[in-house]
Amino acid sequence: MTDGESGGAVSGASEPEVVLRADDLAKTFHLGFFRKRVDAVRGVSFSVHRGEIFGFLGPNGAGKTTTLKMLMGLIFPSRGRAQILGRPVPDRQAKRRIGYLPETPYFYEYLTPEEFLDFAGALCDLPAAERRKRADALLARVGLEHARGRPLRKFSKGMLQRIGIAQALMGDPEVIVLDEPMTGLDPLGRKDIRDLILELGRAGKTVMFSTHILPDVEMTCDRVAIVAGGRLRSVGTLASLLSPRVLSTEVVLRPSATPPPLPAGGRRLPSDGALAVELPAGADVDGYLRAALDTGAAVVSVTPRRESLEDVFVREAAAPEGPAS
Amino acid sequence: MRRIAAVARNTFREAARNKILYSLLFFALGLIISALALGQLSVHEDRRMIRDVGLFGVDLFSVLIAIFVGVNLLYKELALKTVYTILPKPIARWEFVFGKWLGVMATLVAQIAIMGLVLALTLMAQGGADAVDAALGKALWLLLMNVTIVTSVAMFFSSFSSPFLSGLFALGVFVVGRSIPDVRALAQRMGGAGGQLLNGACTLLPNLHLFTPSGSALGAQTVSVHGAFVGASYLGWTTAYAIGYSAVVLACAMLIFRRRDFV
Repeated sequence: MTDGESGGAVSGASEPEVVLRADDLAKTFHLGFFRKRVDAVRGVSFSVHRGEIFGFLGPNGAGKTTTLKMLMGLIFPSRGRAQILGRPVPDRQAKRRIGYLPETPYFYEYLTPEEFLDFAGALCDLPAAERRKRADALLARVGLEHARGRPLRKFSKGMLQRIGIAQALMGDPEVIVLDEPMTGLDPLGRKDIRDLILELGRAGKTVMFSTHILPDVEMTCDRVAIVAGGRLRSVGTLASLLSPRVLSTEVVLRPSATPPPLPAGGRRLPSDGALAVELPAGADVDGYLRAALDTGAAVVSVTPRRESLEDVFVREAAAPEGPAS
Repeated sequence: MRRIAAVARNTFREAARNKILYSLLFFALGLIISALALGQLSVHEDRRMIRDVGLFGVDLFSVLIAIFVGVNLLYKELALKTVYTILPKPIARWEFVFGKWLGVMATLVAQIAIMGLVLALTLMAQGGADAVDAALGKALWLLLMNVTIVTSVAMFFSSFSSPFLSGLFALGVFVVGRSIPDVRALAQRMGGAGGQLLNGACTLLPNLHLFTPSGSALGAQTVSVHGAFVGASYLGWTTAYAIGYSAVVLACAMLIFRRRDFV
């Protein structure tokens, strides 16, 4: 694990305030007639700091949704405990300050967005006038003003996701937890949700969201936890998770009649008209470029390839199971 | 209170937009109005016929609606996963169950009021304003208390089993509960361990016969919805019984719901 996990709901100036903490959370289900034991989550510990956008990353079946449901009080942990804003889950005072969007949200399809947001606001104990005010503002914020009188059964997947985020924000929560908010959306829908998450981050909210879509994490998250097989594999900032080491360098040349010789370990890459080569880590890139220029070739681009989040994700997800994190 | 009212209002709105419930209501209204034709066929008993068929219609359809809505209520929230959005909000699980129950009860009050109104209008069409008396109102009140228990029992079963099984269990409780005096008589005839077991079951199950007293002997008097019917004290203690029994059954449903994992 990369990060040091700090403790306490409120910490000193040097340490960020922890708003959400999972301590050795584990869940075992007993399924079917023979009560087959399934360990969905096997002791996960992490913390989310105030004001950050925290990505909870893992392949399908990694235990992300089960972990989030334990944090939301929908599932009781078999072991461990969770705290939100210093209070044990599912404390009502803590729930007042959280907004949650479940995975593939299903809402009361006979309600209109206005009615649904009013219902969500009443569950947060808001008076009627405040509910109306917030519903209007949120419908505008998620771009659904035009559909305010339409039943939810007529909403597209993207619209449902947006009304789902709006209902999570009705109580003006400090912490927003979103389970797979971008799944199943087209590129424009994904961008809308991503922009909304970034906007919430800029507004000082703490956002935690689960996903298996890596570009979304790279574009939005301050810190990331990677979970696989019910265990936490890594947690930290993207910079701390990704190695700065150059893995290879891709060089693209406009070739001359006689291309420069490839250094040991180098290989040609398919390209259209140009000469593209991949030089291994530690290769003499400067020497190769000089040799190319000497033959009369022109350099089009030189791109060092460092470790990507995908490399880390694949490595962690495929790694054999270690001790419980 | 605002949270409970919100859940109740939403449950009532769901029922008000449910086409199946409208179909059941229209069937009931059809049955009540058809009593007008049956009344024409009987000799000098038209008013009695309309009242009997009408109250039978209200009884039958209110119980069917109570079981149908009661067994689907919690199950639908889980099957459609709407509960995942609701329970992370600052609402306790017992508040959610109680709000759902209140919503169904509001639906049943509205349905019984509509059916009662149509029955009263049908009686007035046949026999003028005299045809509607306090006994009709008391009979409708007792039927409302009857479905208060039936709804709570249906919700109790639906807190841990499928709608089909919950429906079967609730219907079974209704049938046995309505026949409690007969079952007690059977237990007495049987005697022994079997009789004791049956008597025990009668104590545990709700005595729904209390809510259709017409034709029964209460003390020295036989009460009838067509003549001398039950008094205020009978209405008072049967209402207390219905609320008390429902409270116990609902508390059990809340306890089960409180411990559930929503996977």
